[in-house]
Amino acid sequence: MKYVALVLKNLTRSRRRTILTIFSIAVSLFIFSALVSLPAVANQVLADSASSERIVCHNKAGLAYAMPEAYKQRIAATPHVVAVTPESWFGGVYHEVSDQFPNLAVDPDTAEAMWPDWGVSKEAWKKFETLRTACLVGPGTMKRFHLHVGQQIILRGTMYPLNLTLDIVGVMRGGSAPPNFLIFRRDYLEEAAGRPGLVDVYWVRVDSSVDVPRVITALDREFANSSAETRSESETAFIGSFMDNFRTFFRLAEILGFIVVLTIGLVAANTAAMSIRERRAEIAVMRSIGFPSGTILGLLLSESLIIGLAGGIIGCGAAFIVLKIFTVGAVALGPLSDIRMPPSILAETLVVAALIGLASAWVPARAAARQNIVDALRMVA
Amino acid sequence: MDVKFAIDLEHVVRIYRRDEFEVRALDDVTIQVPEGRFVAIMGPSGSGKTTMLNLIAGIDHATSGRVSVGGEEITGMKERDLAAWRARHIGLIFQFYNLIPVLTAFENVELPLLLTPLDKAERREHVETALRIVGLADRMDHYPRQLSGGQEQRVAIARALVTDPTIVVADEPTGDLDAKSAEEILNLLTDLNRQFNRTIVMVTHDPRAERFVDTVYRLDKGILVGIEDGKGGPARAESAQAQA
Ligand SMILES: Nc1ncnc2c1ncn2[C@@H]1O[C@H](COP(=O)(O)OP(=O)(O)OP(=O)(O)O)[C@@H](O)[C@H]1O
Ligand SMILES: [Mg+2]
Repeated sequence: MKYVALVLKNLTRSRRRTILTIFSIAVSLFIFSALVSLPAVANQVLADSASSERIVCHNKAGLAYAMPEAYKQRIAATPHVVAVTPESWFGGVYHEVSDQFPNLAVDPDTAEAMWPDWGVSKEAWKKFETLRTACLVGPGTMKRFHLHVGQQIILRGTMYPLNLTLDIVGVMRGGSAPPNFLIFRRDYLEEAAGRPGLVDVYWVRVDSSVDVPRVITALDREFANSSAETRSESETAFIGSFMDNFRTFFRLAEILGFIVVLTIGLVAANTAAMSIRERRAEIAVMRSIGFPSGTILGLLLSESLIIGLAGGIIGCGAAFIVLKIFTVGAVALGPLSDIRMPPSILAETLVVAALIGLASAWVPARAAARQNIVDALRMVA
Repeated sequence: MDVKFAIDLEHVVRIYRRDEFEVRALDDVTIQVPEGRFVAIMGPSGSGKTTMLNLIAGIDHATSGRVSVGGEEITGMKERDLAAWRARHIGLIFQFYNLIPVLTAFENVELPLLLTPLDKAERREHVETALRIVGLADRMDHYPRQLSGGQEQRVAIARALVTDPTIVVADEPTGDLDAKSAEEILNLLTDLNRQFNRTIVMVTHDPRAERFVDTVYRLDKGILVGIEDGKGGPARAESAQAQA
């Protein structure tokens, strides 16, 4: 305890250097924690939003290929299936081409049974089932375009040569609801598009998660050797495969984060070496007074640890705040827009900060603590 | 053998090896300094004065021979024990004061007390006493850069005596000071010696210093070439067994 004042006083020795070191560590850990958060956040989103009882059934050839409408009955007839909701991607924009967000058409009769976890009110579901032009909108998109319930909007088709007039009947407020989706009725789309009778994805709800593998096998067998063979997967796996597109990017982000940290670690090591070297004579004086090597080492490492942790706290705090602001601002990122820094990353970053502090000073501090007192004293005299 | 010596060097040799060269910085030196003396080590540059002082202070190791200080043989001590021993028995004063620049006068003097079990209040009391003795009670909160050289050296002296050490060792304590400040420091050391019966060993080039000390040990090329009475007091010339 009595050494705390000594450590703090030593940090004020070269105030500018201390502050600059703290800030360079802060900046690097800001970048580090933000980059390292990405995959963790993505996984977290996956865990939050995926239901273990939903299956996604799509064309084996890929999501770009559709399936016939007639599959709905056959899927519904499969044992353990409680609801089937066909979905078609509309890909419309609001006003400008840049105003993109996921909008898709689903069958209204089973939507509520399929997504009870999306936080849509009973009345809104009712309206969705009765009003042909009804749509439900995620809070992110509501905010982005300053929409309100009851408003009529026009979606301009990009893949379909048509515009749709929609009435907002409710908001999808549930924690697992995609925050920027818009869903409207597929019968309305079918009619407007001249009944192509095609479905991009069948959402399937089963009675219990234990039946998911069985149903997946049953479905894909059902449509084997047809003109549109299917591939079914659990919702978790489905969203996960979207994430896979990002994995390389995540890896890269992580590696980048570590490189930044390593670089700053080296810079901090250089600074620590310099500041300790300047004090070699002083350290020798303290030793000659009777301070044991271990105490000297402890004092020097504490200084560096405080610098590292101060940088870590500032960097982490900044990343936390920035990610929060980013989340509110960026609704176009799909599930990723729900970014918040996981506590584990906060902890990890602080550990890295402590390691930067300790490792950067370790070598020079040890050398200084063990140096030959007489030689070091001779340097001043 | 019944007399207890503050400092007892027996056939002490210190050889520095630099590359293939050997420097016999101290060559078979034997001295005995009784308690309560104020002695000087003098000699030309490079004659081994600092080396001898460092051996007495326990910050350097003899190549051969025995070093006893305060009746305790330190020759074979491990570094850890030696550090603890220094904290208890040695007060060090350097030519360039060597105060810690980021600490106030008070904190500099308090530094050695951090190694003792004294609590904060007790430490404060000791520090204030030490600073009063050196006449700087009113400069406790000044930083070294706010003090003159002579004042800095007085703070260093306070730091050396705050732990109530067995002996005080000083390496050219007036070497960097003007004549007036040097005189003050020598007077202060003399007072410490007289009033508190502290044993003081001082390395000096300063011929004026001879007036203040009891005994002068003269070194040349690492060899003890003479033991003289200083003018400060009658040397009790016992057992100064310079090698014949
Ligand atoms: N670490 C060392 N390595 C090699 N030689 C050394 C070392 N320390 C001292 N010496 C040599 O030992 C001899 C005695 O040195 P010392 O510092 O004791 O002399 P000194 O009498 O204190 O001189 P000065 O009056 O200049 O301070 C010198 O020749 C010096 O070069
Ligand atoms: Mg010297």
